[in-house]
Amino acid sequence: MNKKLLLLFLITVCSSFSKKVDNTYIDRQGKITFFSYTPVENIQATNTSVLSVLNADNGEIAVEVLMRAFEFKKTLMYEHFNESYIESDLYPKAILQGEIVDFDSKAQNQTKIVKGNFTLRGITKPVEIKVNIVKTNNYYLINGELEVEINDHDIRVPKILSANIAKKIQVSFNFQYESYEN
Amino acid sequence: MRIKHLIAVSFLCLGVVSSSLAQDSLLDILKKESSKEPQYTIATFQATRIQLSHSVQTRKKNTLEISAMTRYWNTPSETNNAFVAERMSARFGLEYGITDRFTFGAGFSTINSITDVFMKYRLMRQQDNGGNKLSITLLQTVSHNGKNSSFYNVVNSESFSEKLSFVSQLLIARKFDRNFSLQIMPTFIKRNTIIWPSDDQNHFALGFGARYKVGRHVAIAAESYYISNPIESINTFSPFSLGVNWELSDLMLQFKMTNTPNFVEEAFITRTRRNFNFKDGNFFFGFHATYFIQF
Repeated sequence: MNKKLLLLFLITVCSSFSKKVDNTYIDRQGKITFFSYTPVENIQATNTSVLSVLNADNGEIAVEVLMRAFEFKKTLMYEHFNESYIESDLYPKAILQGEIVDFDSKAQNQTKIVKGNFTLRGITKPVEIKVNIVKTNNYYLINGELEVEINDHDIRVPKILSANIAKKIQVSFNFQYESYEN
Repeated sequence: MRIKHLIAVSFLCLGVVSSSLAQDSLLDILKKESSKEPQYTIATFQATRIQLSHSVQTRKKNTLEISAMTRYWNTPSETNNAFVAERMSARFGLEYGITDRFTFGAGFSTINSITDVFMKYRLMRQQDNGGNKLSITLLQTVSHNGKNSSFYNVVNSESFSEKLSFVSQLLIARKFDRNFSLQIMPTFIKRNTIIWPSDDQNHFALGFGARYKVGRHVAIAAESYYISNPIESINTFSPFSLGVNWELSDLMLQFKMTNTPNFVEEAFITRTRRNFNFKDGNFFFGFHATYFIQF
């Protein structure tokens, strides 16, 4: 009786471990672009090394954005973005931690809501993001858009430049997850 | 019966533990996978000039900086009720980033009609968490002294080549923390000709510059030089400058209090004729505006 239980115990342990590894997906080169539209100036920057992990079992998702990896058309903006606005020496990363509500790991094409917490400049805000999820043989493709209010994250713009930088920044993202192997 | 209970409880515990492990694991994976590559330190100084001298910064490829530098001062003897200031000098300059690390620039100063060209190469860049603790930039300037009978002049020359002087600088800087950066500048100056035999043709100098950031867009900067063999024929002083640098998107504004009306290294390092104080004739107010264009 005891031996049987022990065996069962071991099987559950093993299966739970193997399951976890099998159903974790990762994207090391996720793409995030942000836009700031104002009548005076349009600013755009792209980050192509966003790290994201997806647990296909329960739909949990985590994203890490290295702020220094955003590239601007105007190279001087890169310095100002990191030095004066994001202060990436103090807050090097933005993190999103959340869950895809009612995630169906088998569905080919689905539109869902991601509920979670978004941390930028050390300030965490709850977010809900509509995402489009496509499943191919080996990949999950997730893309969507969100809007970040600069006031929510204490990004201060000098009054003299307030016409140049939008109050709401449009962010679009594009991830391609492949199976994660340790 | 008891054993069964115990086993059931242990299963339950295991379930809780494994699920909590799974919850943590995403962030753990992020931590594990996150890039650990060293990053180059950015913005050791806000501009390509600290105050008078060049900073270690170079602008990125295909960027042009247009600069207008001006100084205003009063003369001690005259009282002609001029508006704001009795005298002014200016330098208009262009700098172009040929690569991310190599900049070429040229300028013209109204005082002594000095034309200058320079090349700047960013040899070593400080890293935030890597091996390089310093930034090193090489600067070579050539300046042509157009006027040779000026009060400020020590060059007696007729031909083009005799009016040339050369300055080589090694700019060594370190950003100590997010606000404080320091730069030392070993300098070698060579003039092709001199008026008086007592004057040296070659000079060695050591410059010090620093900035302290007081706001997100504003920094205080100061700078001075020690000259090992100053000019003998005229009385000269070390150049000094103290001021505020204000960065406004594409525009960089620099305000300064200084004791020199010159803009070119050769001139302000060896030919500063006033000591720094607030008397008329000695006090120079400087205003630099630099505009940045990306191609």
